[in-house]
Amino acid sequence: MINAIVRIGTTTINVTRTFRDTLSFAFTIILKMFNKNSYNSATRLVIIHQIYFTSIQILPLFIGISIIFGTLLMGIVFQIIKNLGLAEHLGRILMNLVVTELAPFVTVLLIALRSSSAINAEIAVMKVNKELNTLDKFNIDTVDYLFLPRVINGVISVVLLSAFFSILVLTSGLLFSKLLFGLSLESYSNVLLSSANFYDIVISLIKCCAFGFFITLIPIRFGLHATNDLTSIPISVLNGMVDVFIAIVFIEVLSLILIFI
Amino acid sequence: MPLISNLDVWVNIALIKQYHENLSADKAQELVIRYLTGYGMEHISNKRNPALTNRERFCAMLLRAAMVIDSIVVIDRPFTIIPDVQDDRFIYDSLKAVDDSFKECHIFDYLWSKDRYRMIGL
Repeated sequence: MINAIVRIGTTTINVTRTFRDTLSFAFTIILKMFNKNSYNSATRLVIIHQIYFTSIQILPLFIGISIIFGTLLMGIVFQIIKNLGLAEHLGRILMNLVVTELAPFVTVLLIALRSSSAINAEIAVMKVNKELNTLDKFNIDTVDYLFLPRVINGVISVVLLSAFFSILVLTSGLLFSKLLFGLSLESYSNVLLSSANFYDIVISLIKCCAFGFFITLIPIRFGLHATNDLTSIPISVLNGMVDVFIAIVFIEVLSLILIFI
Repeated sequence: MPLISNLDVWVNIALIKQYHENLSADKAQELVIRYLTGYGMEHISNKRNPALTNRERFCAMLLRAAMVIDSIVVIDRPFTIIPDVQDDRFIYDSLKAVDDSFKECHIFDYLWSKDRYRMIGL
């Protein structure tokens, strides 16, 4: 009994400590983000490279998944709307489902699977190879040069790719609106535009920013946890990715609560 | 201090000027290529650390150190970086090629390696 209580206590303390450390690290990054001294020729070059690796290189896969997944989903959603006789709510359903919920979620999952794991491994390898010490010796702030560009890239990439996903899926919806409801391009556009709610778009934008911020911040933090041992790299990536997944679920739940309040 | 393994050689060297003097990427790259050409190693500018030979790695690390303003270059046991080199001629020539860009240079090595330092002296 006492052992069980000790275990629960230890787990609670560890979880609280991890949460506190993550928030503290996030605060440091946010402060640096709004400090103009953090930006120089070197950091700008890293931001450009990171955006290229995260947002541009993924495009063929991203477009493919968006079209296949989006078209199938739109077909099912339009069929359900027709069967339930909810045609007058078509725009609202599409905007809520695609723009607010589906686009940020699919985008963040793809970027987390591809880039978060890469960032986690990259930082862990740099730690093991003592390359972070090298930067330190040359008086190069690792937060400015390594971490901040990756976090900024995360935020920009999730926002842009999420918007792109929405556009692709809503465009594929045009096909089904024509087939099932006989809507023209103009009518379909009007339905969507009249259903767009400023509050929903703001929530969606904040959610994308939070997703992008934490799916890059958490891997960086766990990469720094690597020791001098090569075997600590997979452990750091494993722990980092689990926490990234928890953060995604946490932000998703929080945004749903905000929307339904 | 190792080169950053996920950066090209030119970025490793240019990083110092870009970060501390806000030199644009184009100008920094031009400067690095000029120095590398002086070594006859311009072909390594887009390579990464694991793809370099010992001599190329030594020159890249030396150039990076020389990029610091008023730098005092300290080389700790250089023959551990270039084990295939027998004497200090290569080190001397490498330093000579960039001697306008650093203030002082200090080489530290074990006494039993003294014989290898014929040109520089120990």
